[in-house]
Amino acid sequence: MARMKFLCDAERCINCNACVTACNNEHDVPWGINRRHVITLKDGESGEKSVSVACMHCTDAPCAAVCPVDCFYTTPDGIVLHDKDLCIGCGYCFYACPFGAPQFPEQGVFAARSKMDKCTFCAGGPLPDNSVEEYQKYGRNRIAEGKLPLCAEMCATKALLGGDGNIVSEIYIQRVTKRGGRPEAWGWETAYNFKSKKE
Amino acid sequence: MNHISYILMVCALLMGPAACSYESRQTTVHEPGVYKGAKDPLLAQQKQQELIDRFKLVQTDR
Amino acid sequence: MEQFNKKWLQRISSEPDPPKNIDRRTFLIRSGMALGSGALMGLLPLSCVRQATTEERKNFPKPGVATEYRHSICNHCSVGCGVIAEVQNGVWTGQEPDYDSPINLGAHCPKGASVRDHGFGYKRVKFPMKLENGAWKRLSWQQAIDQVGDRLLKIREESGPDAVFWCGSSKASNEGAYLQGKFAAFWGTNNVDNQARICHSTTVYGVSSTFGYGAMTNSYNDMHNCKAMLFLGSNAAEAHPVAMQHILRGKENGAKMIVVDPRFTRTAAHADIYARLRSGTDIPFLYGLLWHIFKNGWEDKEFIARRVWDMEDIRKEAEHWPPDVVENVTGVPKDKVYEIAKTMAQNRPSTVVWCMGVTQHHIGTSNTRLFCILQLALGNIGMSGGGANIFRGHDNVQGATDVGPNCHTLSCYYGLAEGAWQHWARVWDVDYEWLKSRFDMSQQYDGGGGKMDYTMNIPGIPVSRWIDGVLEDKANLSQRDNIRAVFFQGHAANSQTRGVEMKKALEKLDMLVISDPYPTHMSVMSDRKNDTYLLPTCTQFETCGSATASNRSLQWREKVIEPIYESKPDHVILYLLAKKLGFANEMFKNIKVTNDEPLIEDVLREINRGAWTIGYTGQSPERLKLHAKHRRTFNTTTLKAEGGPCNGEYYGLPWPCWGTPEMKHPGTPILYDPSKSVAEGGLVFRAAWGTDRNGQNLLAEGVYSKGSEIKTGYPEFTDALLKKMGWWDDLTPAEKKEAEGRNWKTDLSGGIQRVAIKHGCAPFGNGKARCQVWEYPDPIPIHREPLYTPRFDLVKKYPTFQDRKAFYRLPTRYESIQSVNHAIKYPLVFTSGRLVEYEGGGADTRSNRWLAKLRPEMFAEINPKDANDAGIFNGQYIWLEGAEGGRIKVRAMVTPRVGPGTVWTPFHFGGWFQGKDLYDKYPEGTAPYVRGEACNTATTYGYDAVTQMQETKATLCRITPA
Ligand code: SF4
Ligand code: SF4
Ligand code: SF4
Repeated sequence: MARMKFLCDAERCINCNACVTACNNEHDVPWGINRRHVITLKDGESGEKSVSVACMHCTDAPCAAVCPVDCFYTTPDGIVLHDKDLCIGCGYCFYACPFGAPQFPEQGVFAARSKMDKCTFCAGGPLPDNSVEEYQKYGRNRIAEGKLPLCAEMCATKALLGGDGNIVSEIYIQRVTKRGGRPEAWGWETAYNFKSKKE
Repeated sequence: MNHISYILMVCALLMGPAACSYESRQTTVHEPGVYKGAKDPLLAQQKQQELIDRFKLVQTDR
Repeated sequence: MEQFNKKWLQRISSEPDPPKNIDRRTFLIRSGMALGSGALMGLLPLSCVRQATTEERKNFPKPGVATEYRHSICNHCSVGCGVIAEVQNGVWTGQEPDYDSPINLGAHCPKGASVRDHGFGYKRVKFPMKLENGAWKRLSWQQAIDQVGDRLLKIREESGPDAVFWCGSSKASNEGAYLQGKFAAFWGTNNVDNQARICHSTTVYGVSSTFGYGAMTNSYNDMHNCKAMLFLGSNAAEAHPVAMQHILRGKENGAKMIVVDPRFTRTAAHADIYARLRSGTDIPFLYGLLWHIFKNGWEDKEFIARRVWDMEDIRKEAEHWPPDVVENVTGVPKDKVYEIAKTMAQNRPSTVVWCMGVTQHHIGTSNTRLFCILQLALGNIGMSGGGANIFRGHDNVQGATDVGPNCHTLSCYYGLAEGAWQHWARVWDVDYEWLKSRFDMSQQYDGGGGKMDYTMNIPGIPVSRWIDGVLEDKANLSQRDNIRAVFFQGHAANSQTRGVEMKKALEKLDMLVISDPYPTHMSVMSDRKNDTYLLPTCTQFETCGSATASNRSLQWREKVIEPIYESKPDHVILYLLAKKLGFANEMFKNIKVTNDEPLIEDVLREINRGAWTIGYTGQSPERLKLHAKHRRTFNTTTLKAEGGPCNGEYYGLPWPCWGTPEMKHPGTPILYDPSKSVAEGGLVFRAAWGTDRNGQNLLAEGVYSKGSEIKTGYPEFTDALLKKMGWWDDLTPAEKKEAEGRNWKTDLSGGIQRVAIKHGCAPFGNGKARCQVWEYPDPIPIHREPLYTPRFDLVKKYPTFQDRKAFYRLPTRYESIQSVNHAIKYPLVFTSGRLVEYEGGGADTRSNRWLAKLRPEMFAEINPKDANDAGIFNGQYIWLEGAEGGRIKVRAMVTPRVGPGTVWTPFHFGGWFQGKDLYDKYPEGTAPYVRGEACNTATTYGYDAVTQMQETKATLCRITPA
């Protein structure tokens, strides 16, 4: 069964934040949080590398395992989603997530934590697809429209790939073969128990 | 005043699982990995081939 | 995950009331309240913001509502990425990737990915306004145009037409920019300019005087074919992010990527070879490469012999630059220079890329010329994978350079001589004598070097120097009076140097008019209290028109949404003003005007009728629209359509697209490439400087474009040449009538071009590229130390120019500044550059919610050593003081990205002045989310000796903790 995956090719990522911005545009993510981040290693030095990270939609998602109200579910193609009506904003998932994906918009004078928000792989949530309610709670549902994550579709250099894991790795391996060097599918081991070249 | 509200809020949150579910979802019993939320209509859709085609259209170097 | 390197920057600190967690609704309520309750707008009912508020409330996609898709082009950089807008009921509700575009293949950088925010325009200027006793007052359009017009006429009466400076824009469409230039001509002045002056003017002069045309020779896409690429003074990863898609594809195809820059940029992070050079030493570095090339015999001898004139003098100059000397002057280690020379020579075709790091110097023109010469030496010009890939800046800066407002030439590089005016008078269908009467004909002035001329024929005051046009003693000007009013349409003042003096100039002006979507730094930076007008102006998404990308392709923009609030597009504002000033009938004689809106297509057709020099003649609106529609059919490497209705044409008909639209020239994808016939987009070097010089042949020898009937060099085509060749009778009778007594540039029938091309010839001749440009101050490029140099010890050996009395109507200083050792007091090199999230002066991008989120503060990059020496730690506020005393208060970002001795700042910030946030000075509700010091408050004097380009990339500063 094919499943959806993200891969950020560090040889191509130029740390431009287009992916982050596309996400903000598509879902109107509130001030103060971003569903996606670009992280840079060795910033400003030789060896500088960037990768764009959001929820990786892990196999056996650790967030789901710790959620005290069991608000997470995984779609048949491996997208990890959650029900905000159930979420209590406890923050356990944030600590469990190896990628720091869960975000908590600050709200109100008490700065109490509200519902968790995270990358949905642009697949909305458990509400009628592309209804106004779904948009307001989870953002737009591109998957239901037959489209893929906007962050990947708009990536400046096609560093960020998001889609069927088999095709993603096929394209990535082609690139690596062409340019030489070792494949470094950042985050794949943690997210998808991906050990070698074959899945 | 704010302080008190804050404490109340925290209490509310702690009791949250029981007190705050507006629908009768059985969230009091924590079963790791067993989803207790609403059903996502997306799950009924079969989009695989469409999404593969879309990937090739948009994300490849062409 | 917690320690994102920019974490400390991740808050919106400059908004006094940070709009944390503002959802769209509260956002609107807040801005509505602000509008309603503000002291100045107290009288305005909420409805004055028209549908905008309601629109904004509905700006997300609605189920069950029909969605229209509109195609436009990103308005932020010269890459020219296609934008797909989803529009529901006239509201811009979504953006989709334009994966059909051969230029971006769906990709965007954050600016392009956020253009939808322009469609909400929370921070836009919402209606015409005027500053009255320090308070912003609302006006109607009629009042604004009347008041501005009356004042202009009064100034004209008292001080002549040259007392007004008209600043146009590279953010305008070709049609808008063209009208901006034409407007100034009809007003009667050459005091008109655009961003190109301070962006790539040195490129345009340097490259055109070497090859014939001053533009990018190849394309971003063609970089798939490079074997090596040298980036100098270009940070493509931040300035042209989507170009990196093509660059990295080239790298994956095996190209070696070399980055040379004072800063280890994000582009450098992808390079195979990186070298750090001292700001302002590009020429020594390039001669360092040439030294190795000549020494090892790596030059392309055959190419040079047949297509290049005077490489000998370059060889001689290169001998002065052996490895030790180069290392001493530039700071680049000897072996690096050798490695780069070898990589470029042994991996051909190799290309060079440069941007403002090279152009913005007082010797910028020499810099760009030497780059061209390097490529000539390596035989890299006129072929796929090679070329001089000059990345232009703004989305339409290439177009504005070509057709738009410039102080040194009429549209399309015709110059300012009488012949040029007569050509355009014919195109415009107005009487030349009438045009003359619009100008100050009372007296002649020093046009430079004591040559007296009328102002009609003297280059105007450039945008880099308008402040001197205001402040200089008028006895020293080559015009009647000082500049008393300025009209800025789409131009950020914080992109020009010497901010402290600019403030003075602004305060001295009788009138300041800013026509822009956003108020801009210019509206708040001075202490003016009166006579400042803000005219709400549309973005390019609220109108249609064409824009020229860096690779010379023209792309058509559809209108995405109707103008929001009360804004009007550039061409409408110009029409209204022309009407008020009394020359609308002449100016729009052949352009259809409906409800005060000139028809954009007609404007392009007029450009088509006049722009023979650079082949803007074949790109009719119909052809451009056809290309847009079938953009999927173009190959993403060659840009050539494979099948479909545009079969064989190149995407966007990259200029020169010769002849009339009916001739169906496919455009020229690679300049000076003789492997194709001219009819198929091939070319040779232009014979623009005569046929011989001191007895040496300036025409090509034994080289000609494919299929040429003349198998060697030939001069430009004229009626006489056609007759001599026996080709005159190939013209139709109508063409003959028009072509008689004219040449390929002035024959409005296009017949001369058509016949030349029919015989396989390039209309502009077949010449040699030249290494020596005898009309320039430095005929052979030589190194001159920056006016503010950290190496005063080198000044004696590499001095600057002598001061000049009249240069673009102004006295211009060189030697008198350089003769002092400024480095004693200001020991650090101060340079500036781009951030990927913002653009230009940043008024629009810093007002964009999604971008503001990412870059909330102005900062300066400082090497750890310099920070320690100054007692500065990461994240603290510092004072950065420029060598002329301008001070900016910014955060310190301590990083090895810059080398010791260099301080770098981004140039997009504005809204602060010398430590003070100017929030309160903005009209209510228009202050950008992110404000900060404009780096140019601290930059200094220094202007290119050919173009008046400002020196921003090599000056001096000192830093202290704040
Ligand atoms: S858009 Fe692509 S290149 Fe830019 S930061 Fe995101 S992943 Fe990297
Ligand atoms: S997949 Fe969608 S929600 Fe997730 S980061 Fe990308 S754009 Fe945002
Ligand atoms: S700014 Fe340039 S690279 Fe970025 S999306 Fe716009 S055109 Fe493309």
